[in-house]
Amino acid sequence: MTSTALALPLGFASSAVPGDGAGLERDAERAAIAACRRGEREAFDLLVARYQRPIYRLCYRYVNNHDDANDLAQEAFLKAWRAISSFRGESAFSTWLYRIAVNACLNHRALRRPVTQELEEGLADPNPGADAAVARDHEARRVRAAVSRLPERQRATLILKVYHDLTHAEVAEILGSTVGTVKANLFHALANLKRQMQSGESRT
Amino acid sequence: MTGHLSEESVVEMASGEGDPAAREHAASCPECSGRVHDCRASLALLQQTEIPEPAPLYWESLRSGVRQKIAEDKRRVSAWTLLVPLAAAAALVLVIWNGPTKPAPVVAAPSLPAWSPLPAAEDDEGLRVLEGVALSAEGEADLEAPAGLAPYLAGLSEEESRALAETLRGRGPGGES
Repeated sequence: MTSTALALPLGFASSAVPGDGAGLERDAERAAIAACRRGEREAFDLLVARYQRPIYRLCYRYVNNHDDANDLAQEAFLKAWRAISSFRGESAFSTWLYRIAVNACLNHRALRRPVTQELEEGLADPNPGADAAVARDHEARRVRAAVSRLPERQRATLILKVYHDLTHAEVAEILGSTVGTVKANLFHALANLKRQMQSGESRT
Repeated sequence: MTGHLSEESVVEMASGEGDPAAREHAASCPECSGRVHDCRASLALLQQTEIPEPAPLYWESLRSGVRQKIAEDKRRVSAWTLLVPLAAAAALVLVIWNGPTKPAPVVAAPSLPAWSPLPAAEDDEGLRVLEGVALSAEGEADLEAPAGLAPYLAGLSEEESRALAETLRGRGPGGES
């Protein structure tokens, strides 16, 4: 088997592995994908290094806990490895990978209890004397709980658009939808979010 | 521009897009500018909402977990690719060992009518035969038994013939019925 590192630009392998692997350039990514299609698992390790952070964060936004996010991220990468021979490069690799991860999240039914329950447990007692960091954390939990109550398509749209800095067209491609539908879903997601935050304030 | 901004236009404007006509309308329409403002506020709130950052060492464990899953998956696939040809070979050996199996001939079940009417007494050949048998057994018959029946009657002893005749007349052997 040829070494994957040799098939990639010099310095690529060493720069890609730590952290989020931001050094992986487009050509190097194509080379890594080609190597994966030849069955070279080391090449896939480089792609995982490149995308592990956004994929993990996408999953976390969806399930709101580390363990499930970790499982979902690993599952998404495993599915990507199995299917990489079918990746033809018609869309960006990142779009293809996001689609796999979103589908894994949408299919996720193994949570032990509703996500909102876990999030809301932390909302019960905002200490009046708490410092700013605690208050911010409390507010973040409220927002995440509100997002977790959104209908699934609205939630997926909102997470991809707001937290992954994707265009409406890219979100539409990931979700297998149209740009118009993505914009409409985003509008309703934001409106629902506002309503939920207001009703939460009126309860407290 | 006629009417208020569509949902799509509101989202575009809240995201910093939107065409000049939409912007112009929003500038002069308090309702639409309010909708754009609400969307912007929600977007800003969401963007401020962070999630906990995993420890730096976590990323290596994630990659390691993926490597392990891929290795397990490969072993599972390998096991199947080995088992399937083995199972096929075993099946082939069994077929050869037992010889080619011929399908059992299909025997059509006799089709019997659920009910059929008896012929009229004057048309019933069977009654004439029985009557002949009974009378000839007693030596009173002037009817001849049908030719096909003679060999059977000849094989009966005198006592058997008598018993048969009495039975046909409605008397059991050795008594009145």
